[in-house]
Amino acid sequence: MRPRRALPVAVLVVLLLSPFFSFSPFYQRVAALVVLAAISASAWNVLGGYAGQVSFGHSVYFGVGAYSALLAFTKLGLPPIAGAPLGVMVSVAISVLIGLPSFRLRGHYFSMATFAIAALAELLVISWNFAGGAIGMMGPANSRSLADLLFRGSLPYYVIFLVVLAILLALTHLMQRSRMGFYLRAIGSGERAAESLGVPVRRYKLYALLLSGAFTALAGSLYAVMIGFIDPDSGFGVLISVNMVVMAALGGAGTLFGPLIGAIILVPLSEASNAFFGGGGSGAAYIVYGVIIMLIARFSPGGVAEWWRILSRRRVRRAA
Amino acid sequence: MLLEARGIVKAFGAFHAVDGADLLLQEAELLGLIGPNGAGKSTFFNCLSGDTRPTAGTIRFRGTEVTTRPPDAHGRLGLARTFQVPIVFDTMTVRENVMVGAFLRHAQRRAAAEKADEVLAFTGLAEQANLPATALGTPGRKRLEIARALATEPVLLLLDEALAGLPSSEVEAAIDLVRRIHARGITLIVVEHIMEVIHRLTQRVLVFNQGRVIAEGTPAEVTADPAVITAYLGRRARK
Amino acid sequence: MSGPLLRVSHLAVHYGDLVGVADVSFEVAEGAAVALLGSNGAGKTTTLNALAGLVRPAGGSIEWKGQRIDGAAAHAVVGRGIALSPEGWRLFVMQTVEQNLRLGATSLADRRRFAPLLERVFTLFPRLAERRRQLAGTLSGGERQMLAVGRALMSDPKLLMLDEPSLGLAPAVVDAMYDTLATLRGEGLTLLVAEQSMELALEIADTASVIQTGRTVLSGTAREIAENPDLHRAYLGAALWRAPSE
Repeated sequence: MRPRRALPVAVLVVLLLSPFFSFSPFYQRVAALVVLAAISASAWNVLGGYAGQVSFGHSVYFGVGAYSALLAFTKLGLPPIAGAPLGVMVSVAISVLIGLPSFRLRGHYFSMATFAIAALAELLVISWNFAGGAIGMMGPANSRSLADLLFRGSLPYYVIFLVVLAILLALTHLMQRSRMGFYLRAIGSGERAAESLGVPVRRYKLYALLLSGAFTALAGSLYAVMIGFIDPDSGFGVLISVNMVVMAALGGAGTLFGPLIGAIILVPLSEASNAFFGGGGSGAAYIVYGVIIMLIARFSPGGVAEWWRILSRRRVRRAA
Repeated sequence: MLLEARGIVKAFGAFHAVDGADLLLQEAELLGLIGPNGAGKSTFFNCLSGDTRPTAGTIRFRGTEVTTRPPDAHGRLGLARTFQVPIVFDTMTVRENVMVGAFLRHAQRRAAAEKADEVLAFTGLAEQANLPATALGTPGRKRLEIARALATEPVLLLLDEALAGLPSSEVEAAIDLVRRIHARGITLIVVEHIMEVIHRLTQRVLVFNQGRVIAEGTPAEVTADPAVITAYLGRRARK
Repeated sequence: MSGPLLRVSHLAVHYGDLVGVADVSFEVAEGAAVALLGSNGAGKTTTLNALAGLVRPAGGSIEWKGQRIDGAAAHAVVGRGIALSPEGWRLFVMQTVEQNLRLGATSLADRRRFAPLLERVFTLFPRLAERRRQLAGTLSGGERQMLAVGRALMSDPKLLMLDEPSLGLAPAVVDAMYDTLATLRGEGLTLLVAEQSMELALEIADTASVIQTGRTVLSGTAREIAENPDLHRAYLGAALWRAPSE
């Protein structure tokens, strides 16, 4: 068992340490964005991967977090990060008011409902002039204090995001081993059977959504802090939801490190394609994502994690 | 009275799948539910387990009214069921599957794992405990369903055609398992098509036809009942 | 042609590792009417579906006019002259009566036969003629059974198989259906009828086989079966077949 685990762990550790040894600011920036994306995707994973409720509407929580941060700054003069708790609270409220009723729907219908809600949210924010309407808002131009978290390089952000990701993954790991983890996985793979075993399905879906939404909102706040700018598209855009789903699925939905692996693969890819295609980048992203989804569905529904498991099992058999 | 169902009606539009059926069940019984195709016994069964809401009638389990309560409430009150087509949690191992059931009464992982292991040993699945649940064949999955339900420590277990389609080599083991479950003090309602199983296992049988209970008694009594014989073998349609 | 029109030998059908049918054997002579009897869940539907090519047998053989057809695709089976009226009719409910009948003639080799075949169905079932432009989903139970049979007849079969044609129908309607079957029989059509109700089936059948838990346990002429003391047991009693070790 140990030799099989050693290689991927070693690779991961090397990758995670690499930004500290890199001289390229671009590399460090991409690294920070990878970890940020991993936070969102790992948060999504709690509801979509473990509990099997594939939400295409998590952009709502992301946008709430991002906007809360910059509203705290532009309206109250606070450091943007001070808006993060507000973002989390609003996301909790949204989970209960909008998320809970949507759980009446199952499977594809649920996914489509979340998509519709997210699209609606984006439209509403575009016309919300208090928050900058279609133009959006900006963060502090100059650092007033350390609390503003305005750094010149990307490395400090990388560290902060890594800490948040570690906390999230630790929480997820604990949850996975607990009753909640078992119940969520049961709901994800056999809801009717889970019900017959006494699992209060709606209540646990809500727990998953609360955890998932809260960390997605936090990711949104962190994004606003680092980028220093938010508008309806970068906060509530559909691509944000799709990113989370594809990253988690590519790496392995329902596994602990799957979303991180997915982020490591996809974020550099998307940054590179943005640089390559310029303004038409987002269109190319959709095409690439579509191809990836088809490949995963056809060849390895469990993503990279499953593919790795199959590969290592074969290696063991050959060795034996 | 462990389970009381009175005047159960389930209508789908104008069609009454169940048309006024009663069931009175005492503790420690092993009751069989039989009936020809389309008789309504599956729908009735689903009403008892909470998967289908009756159009009319009342159901009381251990004195509590459960007529309109969802399946998870039934589970918590001590009424467990299996499904005709086994539903396994395919992202988990055999032991983890059973732990999902065990968690109902044991909130801590260690206690749930111990309970699961006990049930796995009882149902003969101990050797497969660490295998992915998907590695089990259909007979194994049926047994897993039963194990999972047992892990919730039910007072009443509803088995939905648990022996259907089993190769003859497995049928004996399945009958033995049901007997041992009953010996543990668990009350059972068994829906089956295989008459031999009904004769060997059950003490009392309810026969359904066209949404109603047309006969009740021991297996020998009901299979000799002219109404039951007519329901199964048919009557001359012409005069 | 010597030998029976259809010979089924030790047919076995599995659904994954569940046993649908373990060991079923019977023969159908040309021009005969044969009944397949048994309680629900015994394996009658699985047997007919295997004959129709809808499921692949796991063992045994199906011989049609002396040739093996087990494992043949369903449309090829229809092309050879075997048609099925399925349990629950399986009509195309969003299509009209006429469209359903037309679809039944899909594999017809000689298109000139289409018009006479359609005429024959409408003669046998005048109610279908009246409702030819009605959607199949709006028909009553008896009419649906008529349409299922009519659709099967549109492929000009040599053998017509019916899966529980009396299920869910009022006695008078069932009487009329069986009268029609007798007429078809008189015209030379070979029939294989699966019914739970043995009294009905035995009125029309020459021979019958009783299936219990996936095995043929009784076979004989209709009279022999009707008077067989084991018949009751085959439906409601202990197994008539024991595994070799028992």
